[in-house]
Amino acid sequence: MPEEAARARTAYAEVTDADVVSGIINTYRDEPGNLLPVMLDINRHFNWLPRPALEHISDELKIPLTEILRVASFYNAFSLTPRGKNIINVCLGTGCFVKGSPRLLERLERKLGIKHGETTEDMEFTLEVVRCIGCCALAPAIRVGEATYGRVNPDQVSKIIDSYIETASL
Amino acid sequence: MKIANLEQLKEIKARGLRLTYPDKIKVMVGMATCGISAGADKVYAALTQRIAELGLDVVLAKTGCIGFCQREPLVDVIYPKQVRLTYQAMTSETAVALVDALKEGRIYESQSLCRIDQEDFLVEGVVRPYANPHPPELPPEFPRYEDLPFFSKQVKISLRNCGFINPESIEEYIARGGYQALCKAVVEMTPEAVIDQVKASGLRGRGGAGFPTGLKWEFCRNAPGELKYVICNADEGDPGAFMDRGILEGDPHAVIEGMAIGAYAMGAKEGYVYCRAEYPLAIDHLKTAISQAEGLGLLGEKIFGSDFSFKLKIREGAGAFVCGEETALIASIEGRVGEPRPRPPFPAQSGLWGKPTTINNVKTWSHIAPIVARGADWYASFGSGNSKGTTVFSLVGKVNNSGLVEVPLGITLREMIYDLGGGIIGDRAIKAVQTGGPSGGCIPEEYLDTPVDYDSLAALGSIMGSGGMIVMDEKDCMVNVAKYFLDFTRDESCGKCTPCREGTLRLMEMLEAITEGRGQEGDIDRLIKMSELIKKTSLCGLGATAPNPVLTTIKYFRDEYEAHIRDHKCPAKVCKPLITFSILEDKCNGCQLCRLRCPVEAVVGTKKEPHQIIQEKCIKCGACFDGCKFDAVVVD
Ligand SMILES: Cc1cc2nc3c(=O)[nH]c(=O)nc-3n(C[C@H](O)[C@H](O)[C@H](O)COP(=O)(O)O)c2cc1C
Ligand code: FES
Repeated sequence: MPEEAARARTAYAEVTDADVVSGIINTYRDEPGNLLPVMLDINRHFNWLPRPALEHISDELKIPLTEILRVASFYNAFSLTPRGKNIINVCLGTGCFVKGSPRLLERLERKLGIKHGETTEDMEFTLEVVRCIGCCALAPAIRVGEATYGRVNPDQVSKIIDSYIETASL
Repeated sequence: MKIANLEQLKEIKARGLRLTYPDKIKVMVGMATCGISAGADKVYAALTQRIAELGLDVVLAKTGCIGFCQREPLVDVIYPKQVRLTYQAMTSETAVALVDALKEGRIYESQSLCRIDQEDFLVEGVVRPYANPHPPELPPEFPRYEDLPFFSKQVKISLRNCGFINPESIEEYIARGGYQALCKAVVEMTPEAVIDQVKASGLRGRGGAGFPTGLKWEFCRNAPGELKYVICNADEGDPGAFMDRGILEGDPHAVIEGMAIGAYAMGAKEGYVYCRAEYPLAIDHLKTAISQAEGLGLLGEKIFGSDFSFKLKIREGAGAFVCGEETALIASIEGRVGEPRPRPPFPAQSGLWGKPTTINNVKTWSHIAPIVARGADWYASFGSGNSKGTTVFSLVGKVNNSGLVEVPLGITLREMIYDLGGGIIGDRAIKAVQTGGPSGGCIPEEYLDTPVDYDSLAALGSIMGSGGMIVMDEKDCMVNVAKYFLDFTRDESCGKCTPCREGTLRLMEMLEAITEGRGQEGDIDRLIKMSELIKKTSLCGLGATAPNPVLTTIKYFRDEYEAHIRDHKCPAKVCKPLITFSILEDKCNGCQLCRLRCPVEAVVGTKKEPHQIIQEKCIKCGACFDGCKFDAVVVD
């Protein structure tokens, strides 16, 4: 998984990436209203929406690029800038909020030296906030990539991130 | 195989029963997102490994969330024809010990939560006891499921299968009566008769507004046009609510069957489930369920050998709260920016791609099969007045037992919080309970005896909403909570209409000033005036309800606003600019913990001497306060 993610993270340059985009577009080609599913898959694959991919969609699906960019900036899930290998989502839903998640966020911002919405220099981590991941009963919760952690305190959150740093340097 | 009639459904049911209740010991782990975040995946791995090591002949299975998230990871051991035992707060170590006990033929006694002696097959209206005739004698560490306060007042209709079946097995769903209602509807009932049942049941939408479901269906059925759509709203945007996730992860077929019945009743051939992307496991289970249902012919062409055909697709949301609003949701499925549009026309007249469309919430759909199977009168026997049936709440925040609970409408808030919820953490005083999410309000302690139903909550200035119930205690600042919600709605406002876009921003700015000690005399009146204006003039429900958190907190907690504005004090000691941390000299023994924990070196002092906080450096993160074991750190 790490290599795959690392590959996806590098800029949209290689020929194979255009193939990936074509593949995704083809999956949904005949679906009415297929723009969102296509964009979601591309966003998931690259961790963001590279401009050439959007141009590719525009050509293939005959949708004006301006419309695609409007959709891209409307929905929170999409990113128009490259994001890190590990996307950290700190839940700021009400359940987590009253259980102290703002402090988890502060702790992570200090630890990583970035504000939420930003990516570390080395492209390892992007810090984002999310409004509820459905683990409210185990608040406060965070998600790193696809892994969800419940009942996290500020000290633990630091350790969780360390474990990703260690895996990265293996 | 395609199921063409009831006989064939019963064959699958027999197979499902053998899977659900095998004739050897079955160990089952609650593996919904909540369970996994508590470590259920590690427990599952430990069980798998130990069972293999010992060569134990048991069935290991996964199930959804039974609702008691607080006690997760939960593991069940089902002893065939005897009893089911539920264990709580399991770890990899206790998992190994549990398997060891099974190997030795002992009952594992630690981590016990309860015993389950019988299960309700709700849609069939039968009770299936484990032991016949006598349940085994067990130590008192295993109280009965029905005797635990968390479960005793619950009536599980939406949640009927969650935590009881493997959600990835259609056979297990069918084992407990699944798809019988669809069969009955399609084979025995006219579409009109189905709608009549739903109308008579009194079911109202569980997604927020509480519109009568049967009536909505009738509008759609009567709308002219060959092509119609049904949609399941699984956007669950209310932060702090996770009922829809629980149902989709734990019992996806309940929603699919409900939608198929609805499609039959309304004459729709296609449907969509619009699920938020933040719920990957729910989407996964839903995909599996749809393909299984297609495999058995329960979705697709000529369902139960009739002329009725129904196709179901999934659409993922992309993280926009406003897309939970029905017209925005439709725009989003159509591949556009998810902006609401004025109604009328309502979706029942002109919805998805301009065709008549019915949108219902996950919980609403999950009630349909039981209503059709057991009849409207049965359903309406639960609940009260204008609020019939049951609904699911996510009970979270400062309660001891947090989780998903399904209760008959009309239960009081106090029962919810103190009986099911087990009271407030640390026996602190309750301050408020927040219902209805960003569209709802904060209800203070003096109204805890209010029945939970659509009308009573509305009378207090809140709403039922989709079922989020967040309990707050004396440590929560109500002005800060109002600011929190306004920050949310301001952020999520789509920007199409001015009152919502600009108004929520203004409210947010005023609240920000108040929490930073820059509030001015007259601010409260200005907040109220602005709120009323936004409510009256916004285009959609987002704006129209966004001021509710402000209005209710002003109504019930005006003194807190005044303390912030006049005295520059935050009574709950939350708002950072208004508080200071300091160390009590006589209590501090110089253990140094606070100094080491402080991220900005604001604590100074030598070992075994009282420490001090340098206020200019302090970022008020509270690390010293949390760390101090001698109550020497105080907040003012
Ligand atoms: C801003 C806004 C957000 C909404 N979010 C949701 C949601 O997340 N889930 C939901 O079921 N309904 C939501 N609704 C209500 C829907 O518009 C619609 O009324 C509901 O899905 C109808 O289903 P029901 O009749 O079963 O309740 C929202 C409404 C508004 C105005
Ligand atoms: S509020 Fe954080 S998971 Fe729901």
